[in-house]
Amino acid sequence: MISYIARRLAFGVLTIIGVSIVVFVIMRVLPGDPLVALFGPDGFTKLTDEQRAQYMADLGLSDPLWKQYLAWVADIARGEFGRSFFRAESVAEMISRRAPLTAQIAFLSVVFSWLVGIPVALVSALKPNSAWDNVTRFFSILFLAIPGFWFGILIVLALLFWFGYRAPLTGAPFFSDPLLNLQIVIGPAIVLGLGQAAYIARMARSSLLEVIREDYVRTARAKGLSSRLVIALHALPNALLPVITLSGILLGFVLAGSIPVERAFGAPGLGDAMFIAVKERDVFVMQNLVFLYACVFVLLNIVVDVVIAWLDPRIRYQ
Amino acid sequence: MTATHPGNIAPPTTFKPSRLRRMREGFFSFVRRSPMSAFWGLVAAAIVVMAVSAPVLAPYDPLKSNFRAMTKPPNEKNWFGTDQVGRDTLSRVIHGSRTSLMVAFAAVLFGTTLGALWGLACGFFGGRFDLISQRLIEFMQSFPDLILAMAIAMALGAGTWTVIVAIAITRIPFGGRVIRSVVLSLKEMQYVEAARGIGASNRRLMFRHILPQCVAPYLILATTHLGVAIVIEASLGFLGVGIPPPSPTWGNMLSDALNSGLVPPWWLVLFPGLAITLTVLAFNLLGDGIRDALDPRLRNAL
Repeated sequence: MISYIARRLAFGVLTIIGVSIVVFVIMRVLPGDPLVALFGPDGFTKLTDEQRAQYMADLGLSDPLWKQYLAWVADIARGEFGRSFFRAESVAEMISRRAPLTAQIAFLSVVFSWLVGIPVALVSALKPNSAWDNVTRFFSILFLAIPGFWFGILIVLALLFWFGYRAPLTGAPFFSDPLLNLQIVIGPAIVLGLGQAAYIARMARSSLLEVIREDYVRTARAKGLSSRLVIALHALPNALLPVITLSGILLGFVLAGSIPVERAFGAPGLGDAMFIAVKERDVFVMQNLVFLYACVFVLLNIVVDVVIAWLDPRIRYQ
Repeated sequence: MTATHPGNIAPPTTFKPSRLRRMREGFFSFVRRSPMSAFWGLVAAAIVVMAVSAPVLAPYDPLKSNFRAMTKPPNEKNWFGTDQVGRDTLSRVIHGSRTSLMVAFAAVLFGTTLGALWGLACGFFGGRFDLISQRLIEFMQSFPDLILAMAIAMALGAGTWTVIVAIAITRIPFGGRVIRSVVLSLKEMQYVEAARGIGASNRRLMFRHILPQCVAPYLILATTHLGVAIVIEASLGFLGVGIPPPSPTWGNMLSDALNSGLVPPWWLVLFPGLAITLTVLAFNLLGDGIRDALDPRLRNAL
């Protein structure tokens, strides 16, 4: 087990190095002048050539590319993540202020997706092709197609029209003001959770249907175990393995999905910061945030692999 | 590729039903077997027709503002209402379908196809080329697709082609992975071995014997990716890195609505979003239907 984890981690480090190069190439090497981003197309044409050279040198953009790359890696190693073009706050400060909210949203949405998805799948799988099964399948297909951010705006509008309620626009850490914090977090979490619940219900249903046909389930029934215990002790734990994998992968996509959804709800999380960075064409912030998201994504995949290997010895010994 | 090889023993062509006829029969059996998917295929076709004939269908010019009818809720003159500068929402939704579908089709055509060809080469040649390719694909898959698309779209600057390229790049690894695994299993098949045995060249093996077998998984993948591409395009538009206004897309219409004030008018939010949902639903269900019809074994693979 330990050697398995070590191998996965070593692989992960390699992947993250590769990812950092990809991010660097996208943000620095692809055409698109950072000065145009900084000053806008109009401001850019007004700059003289010397001014352009001066700004490029100040930003460290006139060094050779490998030097720029190493400088960036050193920045990350120091835990600074560079600075924004427009704000005094360093990217690291911004991340530590905003990331908890996004993490909370992501965590709650996963909990929510399991709370909705698994019971729905259980009822569906126990009575396949019943009316309930068809209704829930319809809804899971529907929620796969609904864009979360649109659903989010609709919820905000509906609450405002019918209840005159609008979630507060300023964030607060959970421990200083839990009520305020929850009001901000709950909307995005539900929207993102429903999107995941659709996948989870689908996967859990088909996986349960498969497991129920296995020999050991029949044996358990044959020895006289009640149907409820067979499902709870024999079928469900085995059926959940692929669901755990899926949930981990979805969690990575939720981090991306939270960008437009946070914007829709006006929740001041990391996704919102990403939106602002894109709007302001803030290349440095964007570069670091994209890298951070990718690292979390890679790490999540490793955690999922390790958890699955821990739960399922067949994978460990392959 | 259509030239007959001397080794091929072709049956007399007079007995063979024409290609058109076989296609028609295939189509009817598809409708009979899964009427639901056929229905959603019809919806998808209707949306495509709407996109192609947008200038004819749209009651108004999507860019023309009417300052006597600003922010009007749906009424008999503007069925979907008007926006802050009095542009007709229905016309904008119809014209939006044009952009959305064009971007989605182009992105899938380039991205999924490029990925599929890459996967074909990886699976076929194997070795060091495959190893390096797999690492590269892994790096590309280390980003959630929306984030990768956002970064590329932002770095390249706004524009239609930018968005297409950004979405296409996120599609490459999926095409690569799926087609590679299909090719790997095909390569071990006896008929391929037999063809190799009678001295078929690598090129002939790849394009004549393996490529045709990849068409079914490719089609399934491409239809599924259409839905994904539409959602990414809408998200990019919503986040302000999509196709820039004034040309309407469903995503930038939603973004405009949200930027219009703290409380966006409901009709400016509802209709573009419904259009996205309906289109994605249609392509997803059509994709499911095609998958079940062509290759039910892929049910869990894709």
